[in-house]
Amino acid sequence: MAIPKEVNRITDSIWEIPASYKDGMRVPARIYASQKLMSEMDDGVIDQVTNVATLPGILKYAFCMPDGHWGYGFPIGGVAPIDADQGVISPGGVGFDINCGMRLVTTNLTYDEVRPHLKKLVDTLFSRVPAGVGSTGFLKLSHGEFRTIVEQGAAWCVDNGYGREDDLETTEEDGCIAGADSSKISQKAVERGFNQIGTLGSGNHYLEIQVAKPEHVYDAETAKTFGITIPNQVVIMFHCGSRGFGHQVATDYLQVFLKVMQKKYGIQVRDRELACAPFRSPEGQDYYTAMKCGINMSLANRQVILHRIREVFSDVLGRSAEEMEMNVVYDVSHNTAKLERHMVDGREREVLVHRKGATRAFGPRMDGLPTRYLDSGQPVIIGGSMETGSYLLAGVASGDQTFYSTAHGSGRTMSRTKARKQFHGKKLQRDMEDRGIYVKSVSFAGLAEEAGGAYKDIDEVIGATEAAGISRRVVKFLPIGNVKG
Amino acid sequence: MILIAGSLGSGKTTLLQHLVTCADRKIAILMNEFGEIAIDSKIIQGKHIEMTELAGGCVCCSLAGEFEAAIEEIIEKVRPDLIAVETTGVAEPDAVIFDVEESLPQIRLDSVIVLADADAMINFPDLGYVTRAQFETADVILVNKVDLVGEDELDEVEERLDEVNPGAVMFRTVRCELPTDLLFGFDRPARDVSRPPPRDHTENIQSFTFTSEEVFDHDRLTAVLQDLPESVYRAKGFVRTRRGQFLFNAVAGRVSFEACKASQTDLVFIGYCVESERNVVIQSLNDCRIP
Repeated sequence: MAIPKEVNRITDSIWEIPASYKDGMRVPARIYASQKLMSEMDDGVIDQVTNVATLPGILKYAFCMPDGHWGYGFPIGGVAPIDADQGVISPGGVGFDINCGMRLVTTNLTYDEVRPHLKKLVDTLFSRVPAGVGSTGFLKLSHGEFRTIVEQGAAWCVDNGYGREDDLETTEEDGCIAGADSSKISQKAVERGFNQIGTLGSGNHYLEIQVAKPEHVYDAETAKTFGITIPNQVVIMFHCGSRGFGHQVATDYLQVFLKVMQKKYGIQVRDRELACAPFRSPEGQDYYTAMKCGINMSLANRQVILHRIREVFSDVLGRSAEEMEMNVVYDVSHNTAKLERHMVDGREREVLVHRKGATRAFGPRMDGLPTRYLDSGQPVIIGGSMETGSYLLAGVASGDQTFYSTAHGSGRTMSRTKARKQFHGKKLQRDMEDRGIYVKSVSFAGLAEEAGGAYKDIDEVIGATEAAGISRRVVKFLPIGNVKG
Repeated sequence: MILIAGSLGSGKTTLLQHLVTCADRKIAILMNEFGEIAIDSKIIQGKHIEMTELAGGCVCCSLAGEFEAAIEEIIEKVRPDLIAVETTGVAEPDAVIFDVEESLPQIRLDSVIVLADADAMINFPDLGYVTRAQFETADVILVNKVDLVGEDELDEVEERLDEVNPGAVMFRTVRCELPTDLLFGFDRPARDVSRPPPRDHTENIQSFTFTSEEVFDHDRLTAVLQDLPESVYRAKGFVRTRRGQFLFNAVAGRVSFEACKASQTDLVFIGYCVESERNVVIQSLNDCRIP
């Protein structure tokens, strides 16, 4: 895009659009990006992030992360810190795929140990972890059991034999966010979700086996705290969310909010996709509660998939998951609204932080971190495209500038349709195999949509977050095996 | 196949119900998941779809796998005359168009219909980006809920939509009621082409017909039919040329000819204020007769 003249470059990595740019803006907007990333951003980002700045209760700035691009109402990569008492909650600021997130698992295996079994591992994972549009999970649940799970999250899974207690310690919210109430979700949402626990889904959801080369360990001490200790260590990273369930919850409440927003609460927004309601209103609280069910469903989903991954590795390599030290580093979310306490202009306040396509990145010694990460800061997992690699970072104290938020991935540069016109799934698969990456996908068209060329440069995105001081890199991982829905 | 898109609450379900009630053909609806259109119906499990039956032999299917596989399963099990894909949650319209053109040669893609909620557009100054992307792919935009909005406001709504997609034809509707004839082309059973579409809220929709027992020069006739004036939003019928007999369908400039038995050339041309084009079109068609 041609950067509008009203945009001020505050630092190398921060671009500010003043509140005078558009009628109704209550605060300025800030885009975090390098020069290159900023010039590549689509026009929609500026439109949308400045619209977010008009929302009642927004504090300090409406943010967009370096991997940002336009989305439903809010940009993807959008962060909106909103005053919990005076402000609103908005499903567009959370996203349809509620609590879409990433989980990182370490092993004590090296690349050389895994390579002879790689194809078998990927093939077995492909057959045992359901993926693809409309895929159904291996967990046979009744509607009633599903309603229980959305209230208990990953804790239910551990209680029922899918995983270990320590898995929960290294998950946001300890594996279950308190206050989820299944009476606030519709029957339709239950019907869409009850047989989807244990599924990857499609689109940019995937399961990847990766390698940490010694030259890609940027901070050996923190890497050690996070469990990366062996040269060419093999790790597993997977990305998925709440599937049709989250989508339905978002749709249900967008409709509720559209009905009451103007008539009952007198709230005007520029774009219908920004439908919202006061956070403390009955409707706002109902959505918040329903969103928590979405969070728990996806935490349970990732917990159950983790269990499956451990089973597959164990079956293929002939050793137990404990022997292979398959431990969770962390599980991060990128589509949520979380109630947090932050210092704003010298005063501590309750802030509802909407992060859509953005990751929480708490700095050292912050409340809510597992004990083992109090010194290092929160692990942050940022996935690149299936061709380029992903990063493990840590949250930092200077992250307070974005309410401790950072990027989530490398951001799309072109639509899925354009990617399918430009790239060919089968050819991509062959090319990647030539480069040592074995990928299995449910759909070749889906694979083309995920081509590296359809995404921004992950190194550039990570560089921008580090330069801005909102997260710092610890390890880079290269993909060697990938299962795609 | 027709595609139906539109933002939340714009009237997609209402339009689908209208189609199923009024259309005289077997329609299979494909959606991401069953909406209000199919409550209380028994669900039949398929491989890539789940299906429920609707009135008049129509069915509603929800997607349970890959889109192409689902379409092929629908064709095999249901043998519908028309598939109406409600794109929300399935894919963006341009992705479906791409899929159909690339991998489903047995499908003739007819209109892409996008619903605009006139009332909502008046209440919100910005057109959302997700919504905008849908309007950009439309052949037809149904400006719905016009009963809730004033005449001046309607003009403004149409102007804003025109900016996003100058090529699309717009019809003003109340509860999505419009002659279904306007929404899709012809199918195999012989149709009464000379009957113009009934007028309800679509007052400026006009039509004229062309009939001839003569045989036409194939290349010249098809050239004329591929180059109709812009105001002719839809044209359909049968043609007899030296090369044979064909079923002809055109919507928003997209043209198709399928081999089909026809006793004579019978065409209808529909669009906004097309009476003014009547003479020119009829003359150029007549010029294609073989002397």
